[in-house]
Amino acid sequence: MLALLRAEDVGKTYESGMVFKRRHQVLQSISLEIEEGRTLGLMGVSGSGKTTLGKILAGLERPSSGRVYFAGEDISRLRGSEFSSFRRQVQMVFQDAEGSLNPRKSIERSIHEVLGLLKIPSREWRDRTQGILEMVGLSDELLCRYPWQISGGQNQRVALGRVLLLNPRVLILDEPTSALDISVQAQILGLLKDLQKKKGLAYLLISHQAEVIRFMADEMIALDGGRIATAEIIDGL
Amino acid sequence: MKASTAANKPLLQVEELSVSFETSMGRVKAAENICFDLHENETLALVGETGCGKSVVASTILQLLPNNASVRGRAIFAGRDLLALSEREMARLRGNEIAIVYQNPSLALNPIIRVGQQVAEPLQVHRSVSRSRSLCLAKDMMSRLGLGENGVARMYPFQLSGGMNQRVMIAASMILSPKVIIADEPSKGLDNALAGEVMAEMMKIKNRTGSSLLLITHDLLLARAISDRVAVMYCGEIVEMGVVSEILSEPLHPYTAALLKCLPEKGFQPIPGSPPSMIDPPDGCRFRPRCQRRQEGCRKRPGMVEAGNTGVGMGREVRCWLY
Repeated sequence: MLALLRAEDVGKTYESGMVFKRRHQVLQSISLEIEEGRTLGLMGVSGSGKTTLGKILAGLERPSSGRVYFAGEDISRLRGSEFSSFRRQVQMVFQDAEGSLNPRKSIERSIHEVLGLLKIPSREWRDRTQGILEMVGLSDELLCRYPWQISGGQNQRVALGRVLLLNPRVLILDEPTSALDISVQAQILGLLKDLQKKKGLAYLLISHQAEVIRFMADEMIALDGGRIATAEIIDGL
Repeated sequence: MKASTAANKPLLQVEELSVSFETSMGRVKAAENICFDLHENETLALVGETGCGKSVVASTILQLLPNNASVRGRAIFAGRDLLALSEREMARLRGNEIAIVYQNPSLALNPIIRVGQQVAEPLQVHRSVSRSRSLCLAKDMMSRLGLGENGVARMYPFQLSGGMNQRVMIAASMILSPKVIIADEPSKGLDNALAGEVMAEMMKIKNRTGSSLLLITHDLLLARAISDRVAVMYCGEIVEMGVVSEILSEPLHPYTAALLKCLPEKGFQPIPGSPPSMIDPPDGCRFRPRCQRRQEGCRKRPGMVEAGNTGVGMGREVRCWLY
């Protein structure tokens, strides 16, 4: 199976302090592969570096060492339209869906914003919007509402819909259900499984919930203090 | 972790409590005809999905609702109706005899006061303990909740993680050993391991002081782990109430059964449909549009009935025409 996204020996260090610089190593020697149509679960306690790794794989942060490859290409060498194409194909979905939507834009405008960026002719917007709402299981009654007027689960569906408009191949799901009730969590996990089956998406699922990883993932790794954890740590989690 | 189920007299009695809010979109019926008793040393969990009205019940008991709220019913504590007390009388009671732990510590804590002082403040205000003595007691309480490291008490909320702030909130709420603690999603924002540790410590302190706990949560597993009884809420109403082990092993109301099927051990089976609007809730049983066992009679409003003829234990109540 083709590894769509591959991290090789990735490390990340942050510096703090104005005069006396201090270095914080948050990731060390991380190597992993995410394959088409499969889910890799990424576990770890708070502060273990899961989100930082997700952002590096999505191209939102640069690694301090190591390389990330997408479809065999080193992403640090991608420029211009090639980098834009990579960013379109590897998308990140965040835990706080409401926070990732603009509170001043209605759901319809938030969706149309993506269609505009994709340079889709405006005469097609209505059908495309309808199609994406159906895909994520939302009613068009919500279009005139704002993120704060709809539930957490509905916001997460809108966030997923916006991402799916870009036709991504890899989704990095950062705790996509941990802020949701169990009933809504069950709906979103079911939706993610359906979408993966229909579109052959590859997922990196970041979660601190072992049950969610067990339900969704084909393989899993765990982080402990910025390193890939040993089997004993994984058993503990 | 559990206290023995109390068969003693109720410490807090909530009777026919209804709360609604006047909004620009219409009247939101957030809670209707809520009735429950909280006994001495008991833990009662109020469980349900986000937006079902559980936190509204907690805020009503402590008279912490905004001006657009209208309230009916009674909340009897130590022979007095809390809903009829003046603001001055409530201020004496809040934190001292009934304390609340909020779900969002970053909003509940004062960002410009050191956390140690915030934990010590109830001792200074309600018990007139000196500043230095109260800070000593605050540090002691914080260390029991895993915040004993040097210097934590002198830090500000923004210097601590969400989980640490949540533990600061718990310490501040429990330092006066109140008779009733209302904990509104106390484990929210904590990862599993930390949530387990914090809740275990909270229950230890609760059991030592003999407080009663009204736990408000959407986490059924947490409710199962620490409560004696559970009341399940749906769309502003309690739909089922009883001993936690009985309700979770043998749910009577179709909503409780559907909610339990969403748990990981049942394979995350979602409930079809979505919760109804609380401005214009369905006639009759509010769960009817999503219920797999609905029948024609469900168009009439069901009352809360004792489920004595179902073979389950005593004290089990359910709001469903099937029983």
